[in-house]
Amino acid sequence: MASILETAASVGAFNTLLAAVDAAGLRGALEGPGPFTVFAPVDDAFAALPPGTVQTLVDNPPQLARILKYHVLSGAYSREQLVAQDNWESLEGAPIPIRSQDPFEVKNATVVNADVVCDNGVVHVIDRVILPG
Amino acid sequence: MTSSATQERIQAPLIPPSTHRFADVIHRLEAGGSMLPDTPENLKQIIGIYKAYAVPMDFYWRDLLYIAERVFLKPLPAFKYFISKEYLDRPNSYAGDQSKLRIWRGTEKAHPELLEFMERGETVRMPKLLHHLWHDRVNMEFAEACMQAMLWHQGMGGRFNDYLESDAYKANADRAIKAYFKRNPLMLALYALFPDMFLEQVRQLSYTANLGLFWEVMAPVFFEMSDLYDEGKLSSVPEAMDFLVNGIFAVAGRPIYHHLYIGEECYEIIPKSEGFTWLYEAALPYVEAVVYRTSPFRGTKRYNAQAQQVPPDQADFHYGILYADVFPVGSAGIPPTLLMQDMLHFLPPYLKDLYKQHKRGEEDELIQLGITFQRSMYNVTSAVIQALRCALLYPLDDTNPEHLMANRRFFEAQMDRFLRPEARLSDIQSQDYR
Repeated sequence: MASILETAASVGAFNTLLAAVDAAGLRGALEGPGPFTVFAPVDDAFAALPPGTVQTLVDNPPQLARILKYHVLSGAYSREQLVAQDNWESLEGAPIPIRSQDPFEVKNATVVNADVVCDNGVVHVIDRVILPG
Repeated sequence: MTSSATQERIQAPLIPPSTHRFADVIHRLEAGGSMLPDTPENLKQIIGIYKAYAVPMDFYWRDLLYIAERVFLKPLPAFKYFISKEYLDRPNSYAGDQSKLRIWRGTEKAHPELLEFMERGETVRMPKLLHHLWHDRVNMEFAEACMQAMLWHQGMGGRFNDYLESDAYKANADRAIKAYFKRNPLMLALYALFPDMFLEQVRQLSYTANLGLFWEVMAPVFFEMSDLYDEGKLSSVPEAMDFLVNGIFAVAGRPIYHHLYIGEECYEIIPKSEGFTWLYEAALPYVEAVVYRTSPFRGTKRYNAQAQQVPPDQADFHYGILYADVFPVGSAGIPPTLLMQDMLHFLPPYLKDLYKQHKRGEEDELIQLGITFQRSMYNVTSAVIQALRCALLYPLDDTNPEHLMANRRFFEAQMDRFLRPEARLSDIQSQDYR
């Protein structure tokens, strides 16, 4: 089995996310044993943000890391486990609400592909970048 | 998420109409509009006042950073408004050729109209000290009043305030205080006796830096909007709001920090590595503290707290510009009036002409200008509301009725804040309110 980042790289739809992980200096952490649950926004989700949003974050790694950490939970959780609880504490510190079980919605994003099991955790692919608040 | 609210279209039949008292405004927000009606005069008023606001703001942000980073804990800071040349020339991060994210096409240095006003004021060219003592200058007291509102209300989202209470912050502040006073044994002795008093002053200075970094963004945003309007490229109120929404996203990740410079040496009191951002730690707390809440002004109107004229809960404070009765607050020394006086110096000709045509013409220009500012801040607040909806909820053209209802609940909750009688949302729906 591949790690979370290897799996994301093999799909080819997470180029922005992977570049952001590198810019934020989080590659080492996400390649660790974890386990993690990652809500991974597809490239189109980043592209939908207004112009300049991603670039400002990439220019400022600690701020970018904060937004990315909001997409990660400590521990490996499947869809079935996630929907059993209303809120999950992200690595950023702010809660991630589970808004709907079917369709599976995490905050204001829809999970388009759930339960991608990796060596060091689980990936749920989402269609929007989620933000704390 | 989309880049422009006007590109989105609500699917009206998917959810029933709102029954809220401000249903018309809510439906307008759901259609990608602003709380301020889309009329040519409203557009002219808000753009004109953004320009008049941006010029003194160009001084505010520079001097706030000068105070936070250089003046710091000077025991008698009589000259804190005498900004150094370095800070007056400090390149704005969002204007000029050196900018990585250029928002305004103009210069990165202080605005030419600001420099001209600093030379002459309302009177004549004379030494800076005389301009200062005659109070013929930019009213930095307004900027400091905004900073104090942010310090006093605290806890309005973001992590900034929590960090100010942390051991890491106290250690950083301690290092900075000791370095700053290393040749001043008297102040060091006072610090040893009353450490919390000094720490609280440094917290205030951290908010000073926070507000300076916030306004460093807003000045070029407003200048660019004014230039676009002059070129005929901003033709509606929703377009003006969308420009602000896109600006909010573009700079959302800007670091908020507090550095102290002693000579060439930098002391990081709040390092950039803490991850604090412009949106969460500056913009949202600013809007809440300054535009909505502030505090009762000591002036012509007196408030009796025991008669419940001042809410017991700070979250219910409603003394910001969105609630202000511009006429009675229009007295000398009261923060909004200081700003109004500052903006009066930089009104574009088309606004001066407009004010001459209404009410008492030049006689009550300050009041008309204040109400224009109120309209413009309803538009800024609309941009914040739309940006939050965009970030935390759903597109306006979403086809899922549950998502549209979530947006509806959000908009209605925001409008609930304007149900209290002091709110001016109803007034600004009419052009006769001047």
